[in-house]
Amino acid sequence: MTGTTWPEHSRDEPAEATRNGNLDRRAFLGLAGGTAVLGALGVALGQRAFDALLGGAAAADGAMGSTAGSRLVLVTLYGGNDGLNTVIPYQDSAYAAARGSLAVDPTNVLQLSDGFGLHPGMPGFKKLWDAKELAIVQGVGFADPNYSHFESMDIWQSGVPGSPEPTGWLGRWLDGTRSSPLRAIALGPTVPTALSGEHVQAAAIPVGPLVLPGSALEQALYAAVARGDADDAALLAEAASSDRVLLELRQSLGPILDRAATSNPLHLSDESTEAAGAAANLANANGGGGQASDNVLAAQLSVVANLILAGATADVYSVELGGFDTHADQEPVQSTLLGQLDGAVTAFVDALRGTRHGSNTVVLVYTEFGRRLAANASAGTDHGWANVAFAAGPSVKGGFYGEPPSLTKLSEGNTVYTTDFRSLYATMLGGVLGTDPKPFLHGSFPQLDLV
Amino acid sequence: MAVAVQGTSTATNLVAHLFRRAGFGAVPDQLAAASTAGYDATVSSLVSGLTAPDPGADAVPTPVFSIPVPAAQRRAMDLAARHALSAQLHHEFVELTTWWLGRMMATSNPLKEKLTFLLHGQFPTGISKVRYPAYMYGQNQLFRAQGSGDFDTLTQAVAADPAMLLWLDANSNKESDPNENFARELMERFTMGIGNYTQDDVRAAAYCFTGWRVDPKTGTFSIASRQHSTTPQTFLGVNGVNSGQQVIDLATHSHASSLFIPSRLWSFLAYPVMPSDPVVADLAPAYSADRNIGNLLTAIFQHPQFTESGSLQGLVKQPTEYVVGSLRALGVTPTDLAQTPAALVQALSGMGQVPFDPPSVGGWPQNSYWLSASAALARWKFAHGLTRKGDISLVVDASPTDRVDAAAALLAIPRWGPATSGALQRAANDPPTLVTLALVSPEFVAN
Repeated sequence: MTGTTWPEHSRDEPAEATRNGNLDRRAFLGLAGGTAVLGALGVALGQRAFDALLGGAAAADGAMGSTAGSRLVLVTLYGGNDGLNTVIPYQDSAYAAARGSLAVDPTNVLQLSDGFGLHPGMPGFKKLWDAKELAIVQGVGFADPNYSHFESMDIWQSGVPGSPEPTGWLGRWLDGTRSSPLRAIALGPTVPTALSGEHVQAAAIPVGPLVLPGSALEQALYAAVARGDADDAALLAEAASSDRVLLELRQSLGPILDRAATSNPLHLSDESTEAAGAAANLANANGGGGQASDNVLAAQLSVVANLILAGATADVYSVELGGFDTHADQEPVQSTLLGQLDGAVTAFVDALRGTRHGSNTVVLVYTEFGRRLAANASAGTDHGWANVAFAAGPSVKGGFYGEPPSLTKLSEGNTVYTTDFRSLYATMLGGVLGTDPKPFLHGSFPQLDLV
Repeated sequence: MAVAVQGTSTATNLVAHLFRRAGFGAVPDQLAAASTAGYDATVSSLVSGLTAPDPGADAVPTPVFSIPVPAAQRRAMDLAARHALSAQLHHEFVELTTWWLGRMMATSNPLKEKLTFLLHGQFPTGISKVRYPAYMYGQNQLFRAQGSGDFDTLTQAVAADPAMLLWLDANSNKESDPNENFARELMERFTMGIGNYTQDDVRAAAYCFTGWRVDPKTGTFSIASRQHSTTPQTFLGVNGVNSGQQVIDLATHSHASSLFIPSRLWSFLAYPVMPSDPVVADLAPAYSADRNIGNLLTAIFQHPQFTESGSLQGLVKQPTEYVVGSLRALGVTPTDLAQTPAALVQALSGMGQVPFDPPSVGGWPQNSYWLSASAALARWKFAHGLTRKGDISLVVDASPTDRVDAAAALLAIPRWGPATSGALQRAANDPPTLVTLALVSPEFVAN
């Protein structure tokens, strides 16, 4: 959109027209929670996936695999997180003037440097910053911004501004490297566009145990059905293929996830994973009020941590947190959500630091757009443009990257991007996944020296 | 009993296909009757049901919904009261969803419930922002009552209905600061498709919708004259446009819409196509003449390509279709369902689709989107549980050698591929497992 107007959403409804609408993310148990642990599934399944994921070693000791590869964990924040109240330019008078009562009190910000500080609800990120494990990329965005959640997220996930592309930037990487689907793992029922290629789509796993229902016979026969037939129509073949991926996931990751059911790498409180979905709903529906321990993101990252620590060799993981579309009464909502982000990512990095398989893991945190500099009349903020992104991890070179956008030279009331978002992707593809980014991004973009 | 399914007649298979797409699948008796009546007569019967009473679905009790609480009042609540309200709304949401699923299972006029479901995908609106189940219920009833008539009339009604007004921010659209949210989605998603209008058209349309208001407590629609722009706009090349009703009228009567709407319904019912597809060109002239959805549905079901192989294997069942189709086939009733409503919502959530909760204003993607390993596991768990509770006597009562065919009859599957057939045969002495495998087979998931 290039006009002179932008959406100012409803005053009385914290708008949330995006993905985080799912009302019950805990739910993966279905009508029957099968409990049989897979035994007899060796039939029909080669060692391929197991080898691919675990480097061919036994899964039992949690220390298999070769050397620690670099891994990317993509954290998508749905709704458009307000970056200006996340990494706060608290010494800039234009900030205080434009934000009014929504401006964070300078005495409360967690000071970083260069006049910036973190939201008070992010002590974990402050700790990572002090340990030089947190990179903050300023002014991230793209030309001709779009204020639609849907289209902006589409641009972010496809990695192609302007012309819509059905594949994602990591999906094209999966295609281009002729990878097994198990090389990238999405948490949840469906696979985001970012991880969907034309030929290869990431494997999706539930947020919780990966236990197959039924008897050994039922499971063996499921595998027989999943073989499919050579002359299957395209969709039947694809359905059979996803069934086989499920079995491969069970065989390669199931034992880890079984043990994970009793382990707690992120040291979550007992009710965290159980109540997470419900609490997020409460927070969404109420405009805040969820408990800090009810952390859906932590539940997802806990699964990821277990997989990485056990030596699963997937290179990419995708997790998500929604609810950031704060058009009204922003502070309590954003505070709760940033607290969840802070707690989950910090615990995740803590769990991986110094470990054989986890120390080269990079967490990339992004959202579809920033929010307008001026607060609106409902103590909220409307859709904007440039934003901050985070990269965190034991191997990340902490510090600021990119030029902070001016708070006085605005476009349509919004800060203007200084760092093309594809530079982030080029950095991840080049620096983390060790590949030439160019073919997957349809062009060359400067890499940031943050890994 | 011997059930000769392998090699059932083409005519029977086509009627079964029609029932899958125009409804939620046929049970054996229904299929037998429809096969006797013939394909064309079945189309007529399904389409005439669009405007007929639906005693089956209407027997499902409608939940009672609480009166929406305005935001100001909500903000004044303490935390405990907010949580109580939230819990109440969530409870009502589960009841609402269960009610609709129950209607789909019990309907006497399957196309009517199916169209209601497809229109939810065409005008995706979500509880996460609308917040009050009462308003989602209202929109759902609107789809049911007006969905098969004139598309302009339907779009006008949807646009002025509380759920859509809340979902796309009508209350913040004012002359001094127009909000383009609804204007853009109206053209992009609901009526015309992307690429058929300019940003100037979006801006012009947004001005015409300024001042559209909904009372958050009563849901009453009004146009606030002080915030409504009456400045004449140029919209889609037409000068002097100054009302939202005119904008909708022009959008739904545009040439782009005469291709877009047939392409959307064809994509929902046969296989995904773009508006430029030749099959759409076949449907567009008649549709543009009357904009009547019921007539368009007839034209789709009667189009030669609807019954060709591209269509027969052209869609993955959406999770709602999968769940309802399975429950119907195994004789589960809405009353049974009401015992464990949350479990069904959980099963759907695991498959990635909860009705009334689309992932975005774009609605749900199709086909490959549903084929993830995570969703496959959710289907399997659902099927495993269902075959322990549902009626699989058709298979149990068959002799072991006939059970594979009996499972095909139970699910109205024209034929099993060799892989599935072989596996089912090996489960012949374990009917619940046999039917579970049938329910998770590619043949049932993608058809």
